[in-house]
Amino acid sequence: MSKSPILSGTDLSKKYGALEVVKGVSLTIGAGEFVCLVGKSGCGKTTLLSLLSGLEKPTKGHVILNGKEIDGASEDELALFRRENVGFIFQSFNLIPTLSAWENVALPLFPLKMTNEERRKRATELLDKMELGHRIEHLPSALSGGEKQRVAIARALINHPKIIFADEPTGNLDSSTGEAIMDILNRLHRDEGVAILMVTHEVELAKAANRFIRMKDGEVVS
Amino acid sequence: MNLRYITKELYYQKRRTLTSILGLSIGIALLIILNALSLAYRQAAHVPLKEIGADITVQRSGDVPKELTGPVFPCSAVTIRKEEVEKIQKLPGVRGIGTGLLLWVFDPNRAWIVLGIEKENSIGPSLLRSSVTEGRFLEDGKPEALVEQAYARQFGIRLNDTISVADKKFPVVGFVDASRAAKIAVANVYLPITEAQNLAASSRQLQSVSPFEPGDVNLVFVKADQEKISDLAATMKEILGKKATVATPDSFLKLLGSLFALSDKFTLAASLIAIIVAILIAFKTMAGNIAERAREIGVLKAVGWTNRNVVSQLMSEAVIQCFMAGILGLVIGLVTAYGLSFMKVNIPIPWEMSPTPHFLPGGGDQIFKTLRLPVHVPLTLAIFAILLSIIIGGMTGGLLGRHISKIKPSEVLRHE
Repeated sequence: MSKSPILSGTDLSKKYGALEVVKGVSLTIGAGEFVCLVGKSGCGKTTLLSLLSGLEKPTKGHVILNGKEIDGASEDELALFRRENVGFIFQSFNLIPTLSAWENVALPLFPLKMTNEERRKRATELLDKMELGHRIEHLPSALSGGEKQRVAIARALINHPKIIFADEPTGNLDSSTGEAIMDILNRLHRDEGVAILMVTHEVELAKAANRFIRMKDGEVVS
Repeated sequence: MNLRYITKELYYQKRRTLTSILGLSIGIALLIILNALSLAYRQAAHVPLKEIGADITVQRSGDVPKELTGPVFPCSAVTIRKEEVEKIQKLPGVRGIGTGLLLWVFDPNRAWIVLGIEKENSIGPSLLRSSVTEGRFLEDGKPEALVEQAYARQFGIRLNDTISVADKKFPVVGFVDASRAAKIAVANVYLPITEAQNLAASSRQLQSVSPFEPGDVNLVFVKADQEKISDLAATMKEILGKKATVATPDSFLKLLGSLFALSDKFTLAASLIAIIVAILIAFKTMAGNIAERAREIGVLKAVGWTNRNVVSQLMSEAVIQCFMAGILGLVIGLVTAYGLSFMKVNIPIPWEMSPTPHFLPGGGDQIFKTLRLPVHVPLTLAIFAILLSIIIGGMTGGLLGRHISKIKPSEVLRHE
């Protein structure tokens, strides 16, 4: 790996009671790199992604994200850090049902001091890029699965993150919509230089990545 | 706090919003209605005394002569000495005083209830001045009489007739409509108080059981500072001794017999229950609503909302919902209060305050003051209810927000 690391995890472990879900994993992701984390369901991929993104604290080990050691940070410090450095894409989109497409995209901006016009402008630009310029006022219930995921991608990009964590982003989509979403992620990585760590259990999707990391029973096997 | 997010949440989650608002508004309405009713009963209890311009009436009970001839005192109103009246007048908190002298006069062929009244006083029975229906009111220093209109009609007494009361002649100068006047100290004939005092002083029957001198009275009407009424009543009892009968608005409140009239404690307890019910309803519905939104809170935290951002958002939502509930509760309270204001109450006037000989027609009948219950919602109560709603909202939203903001996004965002 040639690029400087945006994310590195060292000897990461996570235990829930007696159950150790992640066992001493170490990995590094370079800036602008597209990495896929693959493995069967229940192998600890999502937990590892949560540890690396600061959604969860490791039982053991250290995470350095964009030069900051995050495993010792408080909840609120982590939230602020995520707001400025990280974007998330989830399998089930996780859009707020009462907010329109542009408001969902602007959700990370709501706690910031700025006018709604500014928020709307930034969100609309991203939705235009996602070819959803005509759907900005629609509620999630009026959008198709693919459209919802594109709104979620736009939300992940609103704060110009250095890295996007995507957890099974095509898991709830049919194959052609899934391919379209993968095209968008590829374009982001290629054109915008955003690093992507994507969790998937579909090896075919992992082929789009620069490299993939295979997990089994909480450990990295290759 | 993002107002746009709040309004959309409240608008699109209509079921949730309406459940919370309706639940809390019922509690708030209950609080308003209970307090408005309690206040209405208190105001109603003031009416009999207010009509006679007083806050307190003072009498002293005593004996009735064995033989009922000529002027006598009813057993509920015997002599109150001039010095005692002066002592009452000087008590701190007494704003003014009125007096009267009530006599039963048993003439050979007729029995009269006679009330001696002051010529001019805004306290006491001289307020009858406004109830003159024909003729004129009494003039100072003249031995003349006013006759109650219905009584005059019954016995064929006409204006300018001369009536004989205890062998003394009085020209009838006017009629008064007692039904329009106060129900306390109602009489058939009204004389200047000095004339009534002369009749009393010259009655051997009366003097035999209750020594009386001109200047003494048997009815005292007191206008007092509202906050001192209870203390003054106690002091007046001390001045007049154990046979004193001192009536205050509280005496009438007790006679009303309603739960609201029985004690302040009932209203206080009922209000507290209403507030607790309102808080529990708000807490339960909002706790359910917020629990349903755990995933949404997880998303907010994942995309960079701090705990404080989440708490402030949920608290603001709760405050706005509870404010709306407060307004709705107030509207329900106002409408109910309006409906209840058509209710009529009968305030019993104790026989002792308007004594009539039992053997006269209608003599033993209970007298009532009938009035519409003055139910209304005072501005202070309305403001209190709205403020309380807001506080409940802030408290509930804050507590629940703090609790839910502790969830870990990773726990609620794991894919299914």
